[in-house]
Amino acid sequence: MSKETYIKEAIESIIEYNEGKALDVMNRAVADGCDPVEILSEGFSAGIREVGDLFGKGRVFLPELMLAAEVMQKISSIVDKEVAAKGDATEKKGTMILATVQGDVHDIGKGIVASLIKTQGIEIVDLGRDVSVDDIIAAAEKYDADIIGTSALLTTTLGEQKKLEEILREKGLRDKYKTILGGAPATQRWADRIGADAYAEDAAEGVNKVLALLAK
Amino acid sequence: MDKILTRYGDNYIAELTPEEIRADIEDGTADAADRAQIPPLSKDEMDYLYEIITCPQKIVSVVPGKEVVVSFDAGTLKLSVRNGIPLDRLQAILTQERALASDSIELCHVDYSYKPIKPIISEERQAMEQAQLLTTLPVLYGAMPNMGLYTKPDGPCENWAELLPAGKIPEARAAQEEAIEHAIRDIVFVASGMIESGADGINFDTVGASGDADVKASLEAVRILKAKYPTTGFEVGMAGEFNLGMHGQLAFDDEIIAGLYPHQQVKMAERAGVSIFGMAINTNSSMSLAWNLARVVTFAKATVAVAEIPVHANVGMGVGGVPLSIIPSADAVSRVDKALIEIGGVDGL
Amino acid sequence: MAVTHESCAGMGGIRGAGDLVFRMELQGYKINDAKKYVAEKLHCPVSYLADCAEMKDLREDLNIGTTQVRPNAGIGMQTKFRIAEILDIPINSVEKFKKEAGI
Repeated sequence: MSKETYIKEAIESIIEYNEGKALDVMNRAVADGCDPVEILSEGFSAGIREVGDLFGKGRVFLPELMLAAEVMQKISSIVDKEVAAKGDATEKKGTMILATVQGDVHDIGKGIVASLIKTQGIEIVDLGRDVSVDDIIAAAEKYDADIIGTSALLTTTLGEQKKLEEILREKGLRDKYKTILGGAPATQRWADRIGADAYAEDAAEGVNKVLALLAK
Repeated sequence: MDKILTRYGDNYIAELTPEEIRADIEDGTADAADRAQIPPLSKDEMDYLYEIITCPQKIVSVVPGKEVVVSFDAGTLKLSVRNGIPLDRLQAILTQERALASDSIELCHVDYSYKPIKPIISEERQAMEQAQLLTTLPVLYGAMPNMGLYTKPDGPCENWAELLPAGKIPEARAAQEEAIEHAIRDIVFVASGMIESGADGINFDTVGASGDADVKASLEAVRILKAKYPTTGFEVGMAGEFNLGMHGQLAFDDEIIAGLYPHQQVKMAERAGVSIFGMAINTNSSMSLAWNLARVVTFAKATVAVAEIPVHANVGMGVGGVPLSIIPSADAVSRVDKALIEIGGVDGL
Repeated sequence: MAVTHESCAGMGGIRGAGDLVFRMELQGYKINDAKKYVAEKLHCPVSYLADCAEMKDLREDLNIGTTQVRPNAGIGMQTKFRIAEILDIPINSVEKFKKEAGI
């Protein structure tokens, strides 16, 4: 069977949240000599992005999105093992701190972002909601994080994202971490204005932006 | 080429060329049409929207005769709480009636959810009775169904927002089904008390904020209340442009609730006995006013076309094309109103 | 923002006939039907309903309340008694008042 067919089946398995099919595709692809990383990035990852898009349009619901993310996570761990067994150098994955800023208790969107980013094999330390800038920075130091991601749903709490940038600079830690932000009132213009490294409009874009930040 | 001063969805100035504005209008209407599977705006409608957006005057207004009525959510929170003016609620209501020329007003509590009103229902009823004695305009009572308040530690049910990411989907669904029963009971209790105290109507605000269970609880409550109080008006304002599927399988009269867009939400609302439907289309803060407004008007037109009850467009901050800012610019707000009424055909704001 | 909405698009509340039209929307009437119904009951053209000059005279004649409070002018509950009668609809607070007052 061709690589393209495996990729097509991999995408389908995620869209159908079908764990059995996903594992079967991956096993057959590896047995056929395909590169598991390629099947993961062009097949399964494309599938999870499509599920994310469908969720954004109200055609797929949260339970299904979570099921798809769970299948994706299992596939990612299989690929990690395959790569490790071959002794290949793995792509840098990294650790990300994620929090809804202080004063804001909205975390449905952040939970979705966490689930999708985890599927890429990135370790997520989710600090929850209503988290102070000091606690975010302390966690980043404790877990030796690569990225700090913050979410703010309210215009009144958006300022916490700016505060994070300022305190990181004051403490001389700004260059140690990449920062990414999101939430309804946030924009690329806001990210540029406060000096954040990236902005993501939704969870699917968040995955791409985080991967791009880690590759820098 | 001359640039036109307009706004982004975050309220900041955008200087765009006529071509960029036209392109944004086309993209915006196409996006709404694709998402909700509804017709896009016609060329004439897009041309008129372009005229509204590029009109050189700072403020625009509807053509005389096209005026509509205005309803409020968070009614008595606006002056007394958000603006920080030391007025009690009755003073705020009379200010709305006599100084701000409001067509209606909503009495509400600072803890704007049905559940916390239960223990203070007597005080709320007394405030409604006093307001009714002194006012001419319709005074509704309102709050949000806010299903999140029924999850631990604030309530008795397991927290589905924690169960879902853990893959415990049957448990998450069961928790939501349990919460629906609590919410219906509380909403019916509070609304009944307020109607008994003279409320002209009951407002359900931000319905669906906690997902499809939130919608189910609200519509079931409206159905019970409408049977109990057939001459009372019920206004239901939605939380977003489609019903978020936190459960995914909940139905109202055998129709799945999750994923419904405004033109479908309104038909379900009619069946429940809703008198006024409030459509809510989120403003994208990254995109231009032209893009946002083209989208909103496309949704509005499709909704009004099928609705048999009045449709009010939610035009609070960050909704309906109004910029997402606590101080949205009047130039953008006035264009939103004109476009929604004259192209979208809405019955109120 | 409420001021912008009201100035650009609203019916003017009790400066016009916005309160009356809203009462009809609460009964499920769409905007044009609600305006037509109110205009018929007030015996005036629809165009008067958002016109503060015509409506001031009409509201004073009918004693159904305006933004200015003058001696002997209708206010509060008193105006709603009149509105319920003119629009021929039940107003909840009026019914409650009658019941409580034994009217």
